[in-house]
Amino acid sequence: MAVSTVYTVQSLNSTCSISKPTKTHLGFNQKQLVFFKKTTTTTTRRPTTVITCSAGDTVVIGLAADSGCGKSTFMRRLTSVFGGAAEPPKGGNPDSNTLISDTTTVICLDDYHSLDRTGRKEKGVTALDPRANNFDLMYEQVKAIKSGVPVEKPIYNHVTGLIDPPELIKPPKIFVIEGLHPMYDARVRELLDFSIYLDISNEVKFAWKIQRDMAERGHSLESIKASIEARKPDFDAYIDPQKQYADAVIEVLPTQLIPDDNEGKVLRVRLIMKEGVKYFNPVYLFDEGSTISWIPCGRKLTCSYPGIKFSYGPETYFGHEVSVLEMDGQFDRLDELIYVESHLSNLSSKFYGEVTQQMLKHADFPGSNNGTGFFQTIVGLKIRDLFEQIVASKTGAPLEATKA
Amino acid sequence: MASIAGLTLKTPRILAKTSDSPKTKAINNFSFPWKKRFNTQFPRLVAAAAPEGLSEKVAESIKTAEEACAEDPVSGECAAAWDEVEELSAAASHAKDKKKESDPLENYCKENPETDECRTYDN
Repeated sequence: MAVSTVYTVQSLNSTCSISKPTKTHLGFNQKQLVFFKKTTTTTTRRPTTVITCSAGDTVVIGLAADSGCGKSTFMRRLTSVFGGAAEPPKGGNPDSNTLISDTTTVICLDDYHSLDRTGRKEKGVTALDPRANNFDLMYEQVKAIKSGVPVEKPIYNHVTGLIDPPELIKPPKIFVIEGLHPMYDARVRELLDFSIYLDISNEVKFAWKIQRDMAERGHSLESIKASIEARKPDFDAYIDPQKQYADAVIEVLPTQLIPDDNEGKVLRVRLIMKEGVKYFNPVYLFDEGSTISWIPCGRKLTCSYPGIKFSYGPETYFGHEVSVLEMDGQFDRLDELIYVESHLSNLSSKFYGEVTQQMLKHADFPGSNNGTGFFQTIVGLKIRDLFEQIVASKTGAPLEATKA
Repeated sequence: MASIAGLTLKTPRILAKTSDSPKTKAINNFSFPWKKRFNTQFPRLVAAAAPEGLSEKVAESIKTAEEACAEDPVSGECAAAWDEVEELSAAASHAKDKKKESDPLENYCKENPETDECRTYDN
């Protein structure tokens, strides 16, 4: 039978966002009448529309990464942890960088470029330069989404290099801003509930770019090197300093298990987790706060060359207390993954083997056999845990939430 | 309705990337919306051309960058030119990945999992 679900919120700042399922549960498409009103309760006559009103309970996550936006592996893993596949908005600009799933919306901060490609060429600035980005607009729109107000966000078209007409972004439960400068502006930083920085070392970056670009006509080893070198000053000046503000840093370095390895296939990945962050409990190995070095391969588990090496310990990072979990090597088999997972604590997984299951679900993604995929999945679970804690604290104190 | 809409909407996503082949670069800036609508009416013609246009753009941008940096290796123009190369290379590799993923049956089944062609049985 047809069922209508209506959630209503009485607070002054609430707005209702409407999600239209493309099909009714009865299996055929009906014309859907939708009412969109601010601040009052809304009912539908058609049983096929679900109206969810978020009274500003959107959780905002910032991800600083150099890899271009929205389509990155990290985002796909993260949205998969929450359930559902994230896809570009249907019916909109096909070159949109936004990804939307049931619970999550990921936007690319390149959309806040104030100068398009020609503009930047004229002024002689890279996209990494803050002068090429409109931080005021970024702050206003992220603030609006966080308080439950939909926004018209511009689109930066990576193919043409132009700024396209805006698209409507409705506040989701989890809002992820991905790009080069999520933590650059102090006001935007304040709005973030959790922030992650993906720190790729120069050697690994070079190896990855070679893999990506060598097949491309026109590229040569020199051009790839020159491209990285030319961007480095701006990168070091504007992007790199953001890592001191991040709650979690995923650092990707060349392996120490193979001497003189320069292929970048085996990686050493460090998950640097800030201590004292609200709702975030760092993952640990065996005993929180102590220093552990662990090689799981031995009698119970046989690994192939070069094997796996873990270490865990407290450190200081830019003046903050952090816990660092490090993995060097790669997984070859399923049982290695599950063995390692069973020895880690504070993973925020909902059942035994959840991390392994998530890794298997996306076994074709890059990094599925090493620390990058493993720690990205773990960070995804941690974000889910953070989201649930925030929601629980908000429903536990609704008066405070509506007053705020 | 949504299922058919889903089908026709999928193809333009691949198409719109072709709206910037070198020959029509100049026209592109003025009649950009026109070009997009034109492309959506002829899906089959241009689907394969997407990375070609981008690849050529990448090659051109590398040449421009090398020229710009030959004059002055530490200038802003040099950095901006290589930044453009990086952006285009990233876009080209994303387009390549997207092309690899676009299996028409998979796309149709994502929208219509209950149709006969798309039903899956677990036991």
